[in-house]
Parts: sequence; structure tokens; C-alpha cells
Amino acid sequence: MTEKTITLTINGSERELDVEPRLLLVHAIREDLDLTGTHIGCDTGNCGACTVYMDGQAIKSCLLFAAQADGSEITTVEGMADHADAGRGKSDLHPIQEGFREMHGLQCGYCTPGMIMASKALLDANSDPSEGEIREGISGNLCRCTGYQNIVKSVQYAADVLNDREPPESPVEHEESATAAADGGTDCGSGCGCDAGFEAGGPDAPPAALDAPSRDPDGARDGGAEGGERR
Amino acid sequence: MKAAHFEHHEPTTVDEAVSLLDSLDEPTILAGGQSLVPMMRFRLAQPATVVDLNRVESLDYLEESDGSLRIGALARHVDVEHSELIADRYGAFADAAPLVADPQIRNRGTVVGSVAQSDPKGDWATVVLAHEGEVVARGPDGERTIPADDFFLLPYDNLLDESELITELRVPVPGEREGSAYHKLKRKVGDYAMVGAGARVALDDDGAIADATVALTAVDITNVSVPEAADELVGETPSGDVFKRAGEAAAEASNPESDEHGGAAYKRNMVRVLTQRALVDAVERAGGD
Repeated sequence: MTEKTITLTINGSERELDVEPRLLLVHAIREDLDLTGTHIGCDTGNCGACTVYMDGQAIKSCLLFAAQADGSEITTVEGMADHADAGRGKSDLHPIQEGFREMHGLQCGYCTPGMIMASKALLDANSDPSEGEIREGISGNLCRCTGYQNIVKSVQYAADVLNDREPPESPVEHEESATAAADGGTDCGSGCGCDAGFEAGGPDAPPAALDAPSRDPDGARDGGAEGGERR
Repeated sequence: MKAAHFEHHEPTTVDEAVSLLDSLDEPTILAGGQSLVPMMRFRLAQPATVVDLNRVESLDYLEESDGSLRIGALARHVDVEHSELIADRYGAFADAAPLVADPQIRNRGTVVGSVAQSDPKGDWATVVLAHEGEVVARGPDGERTIPADDFFLLPYDNLLDESELITELRVPVPGEREGSAYHKLKRKVGDYAMVGAGARVALDDDGAIADATVALTAVDITNVSVPEAADELVGETPSGDVFKRAGEAAAEASNPESDEHGGAAYKRNMVRVLTQRALVDAVERAGGD
């Protein structure tokens, strides 16, 4: 069967691929380009784990043949930290990524890349969505941990950052409570007992709260809490 | 599972697409692909050749001209969802668009593709039926126009020949005192309809119903228009009683089947309810009381 040569601009770099017509875009992204952040969840187009951002829109990359994407520009979750909006919060991440981390937007994390890309499309079209609009915006994405409450909060967090508002305090306590776990690691603060250190809040990282004055613009003790009252 | 091998053709003009359809062995047309691609990867469809319309730019339009709303074969669900033209004058289209699948699928899937797919659970066929629209098909022998009411034969089957493609859907531009609406019952966000009802109503100068169409989703072997319901409406002054009679007539005419989502009696009752709700909205949009 004849292969086609296609060109994709993926996360800013141009890549040429030889593909069989039957190769799905999600397989090209994961297997040919080794960008395994884009997940395959359901194989049917229902779950949205394979959502990528293509030519300004969120699409499900399991519902498109790679050959159809020839000439298109694609962003996957791996490209988010290099996006122009990355670093606008208190970390180097994209505000949506930071939102998911700060607001406990993931449990098992399988749906997260798709949720982040769907949220990016939503916030590109409407930088300050209501809760209902966020829920509609992620309605093509399933979270089987059913952690939708915190996913919505994560997107709201990102909307706060993108609109230069103070995002709410994270329920995840970072270094304030960073006590060495029994095995010598760092308590992630969620009470889960794991030793996963966060880059920004880990023992080697500079104290995020100190080098990010936007967290407390007034320098007043209540400033953060007041800024946190959004809705 | 991977799709079976196929040849991928990407014509750039309608003429080229038609000549490919005419010359290839059992070709399948790919537009939005949101139904076809999963069918292919599960090998429910194993076309040897695929004619992909996505590079035929001349088919990407949504406009009013020559007395019709014209929806080109590459107009996506999202184009209808965000169209001011649709929002202003085509209530049933505006109602249906955000109820189709989910945002990602609406970005890719096409209205014409949904009609061509002829899944009786699809929403667009009902909306086009309610608006008394037409399907415009192009084949090697030229163009023909098929009334939507004649187009649907069986689930996933319609009057289209293998060497034809739908270039556009046409819907008459509504009059001043005309309105339409679409209501859909589904189990969860993004799902197909359990029951859907579309209604279009035109009022005369006295506010009586001069013309009406009611069409239904997922309660017969195809999307269907129900003239029995329209008969209860034409000539009447809009009122709850009139809508109730039309809803009962639509329920009576429907043929729902029991399935895991609900029993036939329940669905029939939902036809009655949704028809009335669609009529209330349609009359309000037509400028009636």
C-alpha cells in the first residue's frame, strides 16, 4: 500500500513522516513522533484522552487519519510549557498545567493531557468562561476518576492567571508543610503518603511564594485570600 | 484495531471528486470522518478506496443565496453553532448544533456528513426535514435535487448513488413570521438522541398557523416528518390545546422501539412532550404569542 509523505508542524518543529493512509493521527503522534503525552483511552472517539490542538481547534486525534493532518500545525501537551502563556503563573508551566497541579486537577492523570488541550481550546476562544462554559468545554473528555470538580477549579485557576487575577490558594500545601517522609523523600502535601516532590515546591527549588510577588500583591496578610474570592 | 488498508484520494475540486467516485471501485466518501473513521478502525467499514473531500475548499460554506440557506459539504457543526445568520433566523439549527456530540467532534464533523450517514438517531436530518429542505447531489450525470422527505430510506441508507456526493443542503429562507425549534432528549452530554423533535411554524397576518412541519429523531427507521402532527396545526390559532393535539398526533405516528435507554411507551410519551415544547419555541420565534 502506498505510503504518503506528510509534514506536520508539531509543538513548533516541522516533522516529515511517511505514513500509511490508515495510520491514525494519534498513532503518528505517539509512535512515530514519540510524543506519548497524548493518550489513547477508549478507541472510539468518546473519551477525549487523545485531544490535541490542531490549527486553532481541539480535535480528537483518534478520529483523523494522519494523512489528513498533512500541512497542519499541532500542539500536544508536551508543547504547553513552551507556549507564550507559559510562566505567567508562579511556575514555568502553562497556567492550565499549573492549575491542574495546584488545584488537584488530576487523580490518576490519564485524562489530563486531553483535558488540558480541551481547556486550552476553550480558554483561547473564551479566556474567562463561567463554570457552565467550562463544563461544556470539557464535555468531550471523560475522567473516570470522576474528578470533575477539581478539573473545573483547575481551569478556573488558569482563567484567573490569564486574566491577571490572583488565583486561589492551592489546597495542596507545598513547602509550608514539607516534612520529610518516612523514606526520606518529600511529602507532597496532599496527605497521600507519597514522596513525589514538586519542582516548584521541592526542597531544592527556590521558595515559590517569595519570588512571585503577584501571589500577594498588597503584601497584606489577607491580600491573597481576598484575591481568591472569585465566584 | 487499525483500519484495513485503503487508498486515500484527496481531490481538490468537486469535478475531480465526482470523477474519482465514478472510476474507483466501491469508493467511500470521507468528510468530517467522526463516524466513518471509528467505523473503519473497527472494520465495520472496509472501503478499498476513500475519497476525502477535506481539500475541496469550494464545499466549505454556509450562506444564504437565491432564496435558500445553503450548507456546503464541508460546513462543520461548529460553523452552524457559531453562525449569526443561523442564530437569527434558523432556530432549529441553532438549537441542534450545540447538542451534537461534543466540542471536539463538532469541530470536525459536518452537517452534510450527518445527513449522508442517515443514522436515524442523528439530529440534522430531522432539522432539515422540519425546514422542508433539499439534498443536492452531484454525480457523473450532473446535479439532482432530492427533497429531504424522500431522501431517507433505511438506517444508514438513502437515495444517494455510489458515484454521487452531496454537495450541499438547501433550506428555504424563512418568512418574516416563521420560526423553528429542536428539542432533544439524551442520556448524557454528547450522546445521540433517545428522542428528538423539530418543529417549524409560519403564522399568517392574523396570527393563525399558515404552515407547519414536525419531524422526529430516533423513533422510526429513519428520521421522519409527521404530517399527522402538522394537520393538527394548520389553520389553528396557536394555543396549548393545539400543541397538545399535535404532540399526541406525533406520538401516535411515531414507531419507537424499546432499548436499554427506555421503553417504547416512554419514548412515545417523550415524543408528545418534546413536540409540544418545540412548537412553543417555534411559535414564539415566529412572533406569535
